[in-house]
Amino acid sequence: MKYEVFARINQGDDTTHIGNVTAQSDRLAKMYAYNTFDEEDWNYLTVVREENLLEVTGTQPKREVAAGE
Amino acid sequence: MSEWPEPAVDYVQAISDTKLVLGHRYAEWSLSGPSLEDDIGGASAAQEEIGHVRQLARELESQGRDLDWLNGQREPEAFSNAACLDSIEGTWTEYVASIAPADRAAWYLLDAIDRDDLDGLITKMGEDEYFHLEYHDARLETLAEDNPETVQRTLETTLPQALALIGPEAYDEDADPVFETGFTDRPIAKIRAAYIEHYRRLFDGTDVSLENVDWDQPALEDWDETRRRTGSGSISQTDVEQLRGEKNKLFTMN
Repeated sequence: MKYEVFARINQGDDTTHIGNVTAQSDRLAKMYAYNTFDEEDWNYLTVVREENLLEVTGTQPKREVAAGE
Repeated sequence: MSEWPEPAVDYVQAISDTKLVLGHRYAEWSLSGPSLEDDIGGASAAQEEIGHVRQLARELESQGRDLDWLNGQREPEAFSNAACLDSIEGTWTEYVASIAPADRAAWYLLDAIDRDDLDGLITKMGEDEYFHLEYHDARLETLAEDNPETVQRTLETTLPQALALIGPEAYDEDADPVFETGFTDRPIAKIRAAYIEHYRRLFDGTDVSLENVDWDQPALEDWDETRRRTGSGSISQTDVEQLRGEKNKLFTMN
């Protein structure tokens, strides 16, 4: 599964998107994010399953082509 | 700095040696993981373990241990590392199922130390260890799905070896010499119980059965109290040379 990674350096800062990881479980995704994005002493670091992001606008065009198209 | 009771010096030596070899194994395998994230995690853990060793070596030196000896100027049989780290053969699955029990056992021993002068040091190490152990468990969960036979077979060997690092079941509150001195706040029997319960819970409901793990190891009569293991095994001479960094001396700039 793909997870988007968000973080902020200081409390009160905006929480911003800093990258993504691919992992087999939520628990592993958290550890991957911790180890991979360790360039800062984050005040807050979080991962979100890509499938749980609810798009409001800006829907990405479908990349896959269905059989028969 | 106050003097530690003699059994406590060996106790900390075994933790330090386990971390020393653990750091080496992490580094050896840090380009062998199934993903870049696994490799980054291994390389990061290697650095942290060696950092812990440097701190513990300073403490052990203050208790009379020779720094060169601590840093590897000794025979392989003089290392008191967890036996499951002596050599790791096989695949990345065997590697994870070997290092995880050792890292957790060393942390449980460290966490039991009850000394005000070591409190800050241990708290900092615990912050690092939280992420090591959480990563190991997360990985063992996925490997239990992907490759349960290998995980189970490896743990049947490595869990008793890690239990030997912790110590024998017979070391309860009336018999554990380190606990009796007040150096630790819980006896070995209690540390073992928490350790065993953790792995039973971790694999509960998975395809990995721990039914054939010999949870009674080590037998008190077979246990080497200094090296915290049974038997005469050790890391290899090559490992010792790599730990000393002898070949790297060629590149030293004066």
